[in-house]
Amino acid sequence: MLKILIPTLFLLPTTWLTSSKWLWPTALTQSMLIALGSITWLNNTTDTGWTALNSYIGTDPLSTPLLVLSCWLLPLMLLASQNHLSSEPINRQRMYITLLATLQLFLILAFGATEMIMFYVMFEATLIPTLLVITRWGNQTERLNAGTYFLFYTLAGSLPLLVALLMLQNNTGTLSLLIIPYAKPLLLMPFGSKIWWAACMIAFLVKMPLYGMHLWLPKAHVEAPVAGSMVLAAVLLKLGGYGMMRLMIVLDPLSKEMVYPFIVLALWGVIMTGSICLRQTDLKSLIAYSSVSHMGLVAGGILIQTPWGFTGALILMIAHGLASSALFCLANTNYERTHSRTMLLARGLQIALPLMTTWWFIASLANLALPPLPNLMGELMILTSLFNWSAWTLILTGIGTLITAAYSLYMFLMSQRGPLPQHMLALPPSYTREHLLMALHLIPLLLIILKPALLWGWFAC
Amino acid sequence: MADYREAPLATRPKTLDPNEYFNLSPDYRRAEAERAALRAGLKRQYQLQLNNPHRKELIEDPALNRWVYARANPYNHFKATKKTSLLGALFGVAPLFILYYVFKTDRVCYGGR
Repeated sequence: MLKILIPTLFLLPTTWLTSSKWLWPTALTQSMLIALGSITWLNNTTDTGWTALNSYIGTDPLSTPLLVLSCWLLPLMLLASQNHLSSEPINRQRMYITLLATLQLFLILAFGATEMIMFYVMFEATLIPTLLVITRWGNQTERLNAGTYFLFYTLAGSLPLLVALLMLQNNTGTLSLLIIPYAKPLLLMPFGSKIWWAACMIAFLVKMPLYGMHLWLPKAHVEAPVAGSMVLAAVLLKLGGYGMMRLMIVLDPLSKEMVYPFIVLALWGVIMTGSICLRQTDLKSLIAYSSVSHMGLVAGGILIQTPWGFTGALILMIAHGLASSALFCLANTNYERTHSRTMLLARGLQIALPLMTTWWFIASLANLALPPLPNLMGELMILTSLFNWSAWTLILTGIGTLITAAYSLYMFLMSQRGPLPQHMLALPPSYTREHLLMALHLIPLLLIILKPALLWGWFAC
Repeated sequence: MADYREAPLATRPKTLDPNEYFNLSPDYRRAEAERAALRAGLKRQYQLQLNNPHRKELIEDPALNRWVYARANPYNHFKATKKTSLLGALFGVAPLFILYYVFKTDRVCYGGR
């Protein structure tokens, strides 16, 4: 663990001490080496599952895929940001990289934490670099509004979580993730138990986000610069899912009754946000709502607490992280050329930028869960375990899958096919950097097809 | 007939057509001519920008900007009328209760099948 943490920590002096000519190549190389080093975590050798274990941090098959995803994303974020930051003063560029590296550090500590309070502190800590990135480097005036929504929705949801965790610590004596599965269940008065259950879950449901509490997400995703959108979509949403999966073990007997409203919200949210996607005019907003839709499925899979549900949720989280981040990078390539997110303005790009169309195609296919991509694997496992839970969910998830396919294809056809607008003169051809960025997103996604057992979490058999 | 001269390939609007001309009042004709002059001015601005060899960016369309802003900010002008309340209740509130009832009954009575 230290061989990843120390280099990430020292990315901060690196950015401030390298000369401006070598800033980006150095930061990229260091973060790429950290990412390649983090892949070794996928080798879970111990029988109990907890590898790289010490008093504070450990990795297990649940946290390892998410850790590798967050480490993998840092070089990709740096690659994506290089162009739009090149015109800014050098110290602002250094500040940006510092914020991304700090975020990476907090994310590694959050996913690797064995103590729930450390997870909570890191969960909150990740809000600060993200808020700074959204409000300071966003492009429109709405970025302040977006930052406010983002910060206060998450904070309001997670304050009850702090109280709930402290209550759990008081009663059980420990909050270590290794011990808590074997501790006595928390026995409070009936109504108090329900409030405690809700307090534990609401923070993560707001972060995921669940349909009723999702308003912060389109704002934050749209107003953030590309690296902010990438990390939000790929990793920060998964913090919510990871937290839920960890706490579910503790909340067990209560959950049978309490999950119903949230599963209903999650599944109905899949359909509603999918339908909103079909009506969007803003490309980034479409991708943001599609994130809410996919995370609704993940929330449904986690809340029913079955092995297949958890496995499907974990696979879908990783696959969606890569695919959604890829789509945001593609949307950014459009934005850098037209300086507008309106879909109508950037149509018919297949004629102008045919190689980028390949990446648009693969990313859209990943979004609509085409077999044999892991997106389908995750969705199918969640679908079947939800069907086992109650047969009627199939109607909702089936319609949801249909709508997902519809808006993914709509996004692809709208941006690539059709007539090219007549008044666009200066479309710089696709840079090699952009092709590299897309390849680094989508090749891991394709490679996961070959060994999905890496992502199956605790139930890999 | 005023200072209006139509663009080379455009047709003369109906109200400035000499055959229709004498049916209309002079005020109406003047207003039409002014409006046509404004339109021609806008078209000229667009053509100037379109054919400017030093232009690198997109031509800004204020109508498109207004439309995009309107589509992105519906809640600023939201009003709770009978129709919007009905739609909200039908698609936002009722399905949650219906689905809760369906899932609960299915799992409790039929054991989830």
